Amino acid sequence: MFTRRQLMAGVALSAAVPMRARAAAPIKVGLIVPLSGGAGRQGQDVANAVQSMATLINDAGGVLGRPLELLVRDDESTPAIGVAKANELASAGVAVVLEGWNSPVTLAMQPILARADVLDITMISKADPILASAANPLAIRLNSANAEDATVIASYLKSRMASGRLVFVTENDAYGNGAQHGIEEEIKRAGLSYDIAKTLKFPFPQTDFRVEVTTIHDAKPDAVIAIDANEGAGLPAFLQQYAQAKVGAPLICTVGTVSPSVIETAGAAANGLISADIYFPAAEPFASNSENKRFIAEMQKQFKTTPDKYMALGAASLEVWAKAVAKVGSLDRKAVAGAIRGHEIPGTIFGDVRFSANGQMAHHYAIFTVQDEKIVVQN
Amino acid sequence: MNAHPTYFRILGTVALALLGFFLPRFLGGSSHVYDTLGTIASFSAMSYGLDIILSDLGEISLAHTAFFATGAYASAILSVDYGQGAWVAMAGAVLAALALALVLGLITLRTREFAFSLVTYAAAVVCMNIAANWDFLGGSDGIVGIPPLALTIGPLSFAASQPPQFWPFAYGLLLLTLYVVHRFRRSRLGQAALMVHMNPRLASMCGVDGNRVRLLVFLVSAPISALAGWLYAFQRAYVGTDLFDTYFLVLMLTGVILAGRRLLLGPLLGTALLVGQKSFFSLGAYGDKLVLGAVLVGVLCFCPKGLASLWPRAPGRALRQM
Repeated sequence: MFTRRQLMAGVALSAAVPMRARAAAPIKVGLIVPLSGGAGRQGQDVANAVQSMATLINDAGGVLGRPLELLVRDDESTPAIGVAKANELASAGVAVVLEGWNSPVTLAMQPILARADVLDITMISKADPILASAANPLAIRLNSANAEDATVIASYLKSRMASGRLVFVTENDAYGNGAQHGIEEEIKRAGLSYDIAKTLKFPFPQTDFRVEVTTIHDAKPDAVIAIDANEGAGLPAFLQQYAQAKVGAPLICTVGTVSPSVIETAGAAANGLISADIYFPAAEPFASNSENKRFIAEMQKQFKTTPDKYMALGAASLEVWAKAVAKVGSLDRKAVAGAIRGHEIPGTIFGDVRFSANGQMAHHYAIFTVQDEKIVVQN
Repeated sequence: MNAHPTYFRILGTVALALLGFFLPRFLGGSSHVYDTLGTIASFSAMSYGLDIILSDLGEISLAHTAFFATGAYASAILSVDYGQGAWVAMAGAVLAALALALVLGLITLRTREFAFSLVTYAAAVVCMNIAANWDFLGGSDGIVGIPPLALTIGPLSFAASQPPQFWPFAYGLLLLTLYVVHRFRRSRLGQAALMVHMNPRLASMCGVDGNRVRLLVFLVSAPISALAGWLYAFQRAYVGTDLFDTYFLVLMLTGVILAGRRLLLGPLLGTALLVGQKSFFSLGAYGDKLVLGAVLVGVLCFCPKGLASLWPRAPGRALRQM
């Protein structure tokens, strides 16, 4: 039992930690996401989520007794601008940069940050070279990898049909081509007998898919696999045009491309689509995770919204970094990266998370469909 | 009698060049300042390639992103896949751009104005699709892992991986480009290009082969943009298909038009205004685009000769005479 004096001292100390943290010089944390253009809305959501996590961390005393100060920059989904912003943040003396919505932008920023000796954590971009590049030997990524995603899609196909005709509608960039290649490899590995009737490639900003949808219709596929990370405009437009054309074949969207905002924008056209993901705030094991509940409450308090997967990944990136810094007691890039790569970070909004030696965070997947414009988790 | 003005002009140019070199220090010397000014220098050099075609030949080439990207890709392949140094990469960038310019120049010899622009645009799109789908060029992943720039001149070695270290290379490339463009405009080819542009009939009567001149000007222009691509590849350490994007094309075209055509310092001033505004006085992506659009409309409608024409006559003349 604590005495009244001990309790008073404890309360005073706990109140003093955040105050002391706020009095100390802040640690600058860089965040580079698209805040304009097709992915602008999602980028802003991620920025809000990281801000929420920074508030939670600061309220708990900061990092190494210092508050976090967030410097947010817009990469405009353009690698050249991402490079300029990475240089700008490195010059501003940030301890870490959380980045990455588009893979080409991430690939362009990585070497700039590595040369400036700034730790770089990729939140969302999925291209395989992000973790394989010699330009950034300390790469860390939280979103799932294309290879893991491909296994999930191939397993789903296997559970539904042993053979058939597939059509790929693929974003023609590092992410899209990598994702398709991964699915094709997994299909081969699983010994499935699928005929790829068509592969339709399109540029990231495309929103008019009428030609592609007509081609799909004529190809009479048994399933269509859509790989489109343009969640702000491209994927909702595709879903609407696909529904209007009444193609009929089941539509499978690759892992992590169907956020609630896609369903909100596409409306009833999203009904029936099949996808998989790694984070569902109201489903287990997340629903009972106290860290996740704190994060959701903060998002509700500050932004009156329930976080989606991307927001969770953004917030978790900051959380993982903060825990690693606390563990090593230093902001040193190599020390912090060393505490993350190949190690487990307990107590995050994703639960206890494990990073492989190449910096990739491991995930548990769940298949879902959209019914009545709502996500329904299947397993 | 003329010795003194020439002497003073050379002295003034050298003083201006020295002043320019130390400009990042005068602006605070932060890494951000060095990066911005280094980017202005690289992108200006890129724009000068287009400036020669636009100002001297009177055609709007939309293929110069392809020359810029060719220089970058050649550098990346030679340094990453074949382990070659920066000098070999530079030679490769120039040769690759010359080869592309020769093909493109021959194809576009008989096209003019709108058709020329359309064909050059189509060429850039074809190049981008080849780059995005050919594994040798990195495919859609691009090429990662370009080493830091390292140049050896005799016993001297220079290396650059950080913006302040890149600045001398970028500035040196800019000065070299300015010299080449200046010499080109005074050369017989430059004069012939102007004649073919301004008065093709007169050129023909004077025995100037218009097609030959157009091809040669293309061959002079392409390596300039390619050299900027060479430097940019080392500066960024990654090349991808975004190098063909309209971002670079708009930057080049606006950079050339903004200050005024056929001004030696025109593309430099135009690029500096564009990149400087975005870097130091950004109003956010949408705000920046509004500013750019408004400035372009204003320049094209109210001073079609460019912003430099608003300045008093003497400085304008000085710019032309340099």
